[in-house]
Amino acid sequence: MIRNALKSFTAAAAAGVIALLSNAPAGAQEPIRIGVLQAITGPFTKNGTENWVAMQIARDMINERGGIPGHRRKVEYVFADTPTPTAAITETERLITREGVKITAGSGLSPLAIAVSQAAERHGVFHWETAGGAEIITRRGHKYTFQVAPSARRYAEAAVDFIVEQLTERLGKPASGLRVALLWENRAWGKSVGENVRAYAPKKGLKLIYDEGYDQFITDMTAIVQQLKNVQPDVLVAISFPNDAILFQRKSKELDFNVGAFIGVSAGYSNPDLRNSIGGMVNGIFVSDFAVQVNPKALDDKIRPIAEEFFKRYDDQMKRPPAGHASMAFSAMWAFFTELLPKAKTFEPAELRTIALGLDVPQGAMANGSGIKFTNHDWAPDQKDFGQNLRAAVGVWQWQSSGNNQVFPTRLATHQPAMVPLPKWSQR
Amino acid sequence: MPERGSISLFEVVLFGVCLTLVAVPVPHFYQDVMIVTFIWAGVALAWNIAGGYVGLISFGHAAFFAIGAYTSTILGVRYGVTPWIGIWIGALLAAALGTTLALIGARLRGPFFILSTLAAAEVVRIAALNWTSLTGGAEGIWIAPVPNAVNMVFASRTTYVAVMLGYVAAVYAIAKTLEGSRYGLRMFAVRDDEDAASAAGVNPLLVRAGAMTISAFLTAIGGSLFAQYFQYLDPTHVASPELSFQFALLPALGGLGTAIGPLLGSFIIMPVSELLRSYLGAVFQGLHLAIFGGFLIVVMLYFPDGLAGALKRLGLGRSKGPP
Amino acid sequence: MTTFGQLVLSGLLIGGIYALMSMGLTLIFGVLRVVNFAHGEFLMVAMYGVWAMTALLGLNPYVAILAVVPAMFVFGALIHRLTIATGVDKPHLVLVFATMGLSILMQNVALMLFSADLFDVPPMFGGRSIAIGPLFFRVELLLGFLIAVLATLGLRWVIRSTYLGKAIRATVQDREAAMLMGVPVPHIFLVTFAGGSALIGLAACVMMPLFSVFPTVGLNFVLIAFVIVVLGGMGSIEGALLGGICIGIVQAVSSYYVAPAFGQMFFFIVFLLVMIFRPAGLFGRKGEAMVGIN
Repeated sequence: MIRNALKSFTAAAAAGVIALLSNAPAGAQEPIRIGVLQAITGPFTKNGTENWVAMQIARDMINERGGIPGHRRKVEYVFADTPTPTAAITETERLITREGVKITAGSGLSPLAIAVSQAAERHGVFHWETAGGAEIITRRGHKYTFQVAPSARRYAEAAVDFIVEQLTERLGKPASGLRVALLWENRAWGKSVGENVRAYAPKKGLKLIYDEGYDQFITDMTAIVQQLKNVQPDVLVAISFPNDAILFQRKSKELDFNVGAFIGVSAGYSNPDLRNSIGGMVNGIFVSDFAVQVNPKALDDKIRPIAEEFFKRYDDQMKRPPAGHASMAFSAMWAFFTELLPKAKTFEPAELRTIALGLDVPQGAMANGSGIKFTNHDWAPDQKDFGQNLRAAVGVWQWQSSGNNQVFPTRLATHQPAMVPLPKWSQR
Repeated sequence: MPERGSISLFEVVLFGVCLTLVAVPVPHFYQDVMIVTFIWAGVALAWNIAGGYVGLISFGHAAFFAIGAYTSTILGVRYGVTPWIGIWIGALLAAALGTTLALIGARLRGPFFILSTLAAAEVVRIAALNWTSLTGGAEGIWIAPVPNAVNMVFASRTTYVAVMLGYVAAVYAIAKTLEGSRYGLRMFAVRDDEDAASAAGVNPLLVRAGAMTISAFLTAIGGSLFAQYFQYLDPTHVASPELSFQFALLPALGGLGTAIGPLLGSFIIMPVSELLRSYLGAVFQGLHLAIFGGFLIVVMLYFPDGLAGALKRLGLGRSKGPP
Repeated sequence: MTTFGQLVLSGLLIGGIYALMSMGLTLIFGVLRVVNFAHGEFLMVAMYGVWAMTALLGLNPYVAILAVVPAMFVFGALIHRLTIATGVDKPHLVLVFATMGLSILMQNVALMLFSADLFDVPPMFGGRSIAIGPLFFRVELLLGFLIAVLATLGLRWVIRSTYLGKAIRATVQDREAAMLMGVPVPHIFLVTFAGGSALIGLAACVMMPLFSVFPTVGLNFVLIAFVIVVLGGMGSIEGALLGGICIGIVQAVSSYYVAPAFGQMFFFIVFLLVMIFRPAGLFGRKGEAMVGIN
């Protein structure tokens, strides 16, 4: 009896020593916990829900493949609903202090992104921002906030570059002779993009003949459309959310406001439901947005099947193709799982930060055509900038009857821009 | 059970419990809930001075809150004025707005007054949103999270909890004092029967203006403290109608017209709504809010005196004087 | 001049529709002395109803009036029975907060049932508009305006020439006296609340071709409705029509000549001015604002 007990004890002791000596960290098979903050109730629900679905697909796909490459640890999300910026701060605090997460991801929209990253930074938690693009996110002196999605500046630049490179010849006017109008919804996103268009356009030789903001609760677009009619722009760049985008388009048709080309920036104009709401009116509208379904030749061989699988799974679940921000959310999380986490050992924020700063992922290596290269106080236009992804893919796609087709930049494009100048309403 | 004009055992015990929660090490998340609860309780008490004591129901208190928050923050971040002083400036500005509102609404009663407060608050919100050079507009303003006592940024969350407790205790003391004073009698008189009060020599306009001024002043302080803790302000969540409703809701649920009502309302509703959202938020989109809405309807229809009134009716105290 | 003409025309037409949307509210205010903070959500529910009729049954939104208006009448009666009736004799803040609770409940039930997506109905004539000289307007705007005017006239007739109208007027003037004279006041309350809801249903049919519906759509309109009701005078149907037209025009004109971003602020300023100088509104009875309720 004692002999047996001694034997068992020795075996156990031996196993213990072996375990101690081998480098396996305690709980080697424990999943990696990532706090996820999205708005699935409240005014931002639409974006939040779509982002959340995309992020879950990323998690499911990586776990089906055995978890994080190299570590074989699965990914586990700890979710919090953040309907408002105040809730975002409280919920982030809760995930960090009560659930103990050291990594957060999200959050679908700029006002929430600002709040979440603020709360995360206070605790020294690593935040991977998947969709929010307001520039202030990377200008606050944070150390652990990384904005994977393109910043507002990039959208503005894509729109302006598209005008100069593709529209001027199609409209038959040089840049200096083009009349460009700018319309923006006056919350963080609209303002941010607007500011950048305002700053970048003159550098490319364009001048703005109209520049107005409006309130999100607007119900009557008559004054705005009338102002635009009187100013007769060739190109209109508009940053709107779904409800105001629909109101604007309808009012434009009603008052017969015609423009040579219309460029919407993200949010309202990239929403796949727009076609359901305004039907054929939508054809011809350009959208400066995340790249959605890029030219497959622009993607590298490893990521191409992943991108295809994502599109299929999203479409199966939501019964429609993913909007740009959802695609970005997936790409960002996939890159996090396959480019960043495999290099980690302790998964502490400081280590993740170092790895992130060292990432040099070429464009085309992510599912939506993006790459990764973060600023580190070394960006010429603004030394304060930290954590902005300079290789996030932004381009211009167009609503066409065959679908939403990428038309700019050439590297990512699958189609040519069509319907320039835009036929008058009476002819559409 | 608390009564007008005297301190009851209940209040002493409650204060003791709060002090203990501040002193004892408590997990961060609970401290966060406490901080928010204390601030909201203070504002609810301040709201009640106008709404419960004088009957000036306001759905625009977020305007005072925002003025307090933005003033102390702008002065601190842009001009280097310490928030310890900035808070009072914000409070004075808000008080001025409060007096103005009372004067504008001098002849308004009932829903007319409510709507005028709503309109005024919306004007403040839209101004804050569009006056970008002053307020940072939609992107907001934030305070650098560098701990520094002069800038009222504390490293320890416990210090914040202590400060907020101090705030709510002070507002409670003021409310309680008002409640039991001669001025308080005048306030209740104006609320219950303005004509009779007038006939008895009370000047309703002065009482209304006074109450709004005090209420606005105290609310603004809460706003400044909020700014110092959250360190991020933007008009959409600091000056919104939703926030105004919350500030009116808590005293209504807790029991208007008493000092303990808003306190009870906040201490119970705030943690419960945080918990509801944390647990049900991910389950079914909007379920936790739907439950909250339903609960509100039931309470208001069947317990219009709020929680304080319900407790009284359950015989936990003898009522002395009008409810 | 064309510009000004367009602004006034568009403002006038949309203003009439705003007015139709507010008529139910002013009626309920005037008779029950109740602030229905769930007004926007009633509109939202009715709009979803119109959308369902159109998308699922293929009905034209204007034809859907025949279904939606009675349905909203019943809905209003139900809500009244379940909630308002209990609170009508209590201090007014009870119903203020109870209707707020209703508003939160309805918004979130809609969110649970329909998600946050925007729903629309296809426009008439493909969204094309009628041109009168250099001015344009969509048929739906004109139809909405005409229906608003018809509703105003219809309601006026009911209030002035029917027994129900008389009973309503009596209740508005002095509910205790009316009760003493044999007017079934609680019944009048029920009919008025249900009628007000039916009016919202009518407004929804007219608005659905012009606006999208989503769970929080009420927020975009409820403040406008309150301002119109106060401007026109609580309980005054004609006041609501004029108030609505006023607001529609002021919004369009001030947005154009000052800035679109401030267009909303301007009608709040109008509202505050009315509060200062003529709180009873254009058509309210003088001193009404000073009496308030109960």
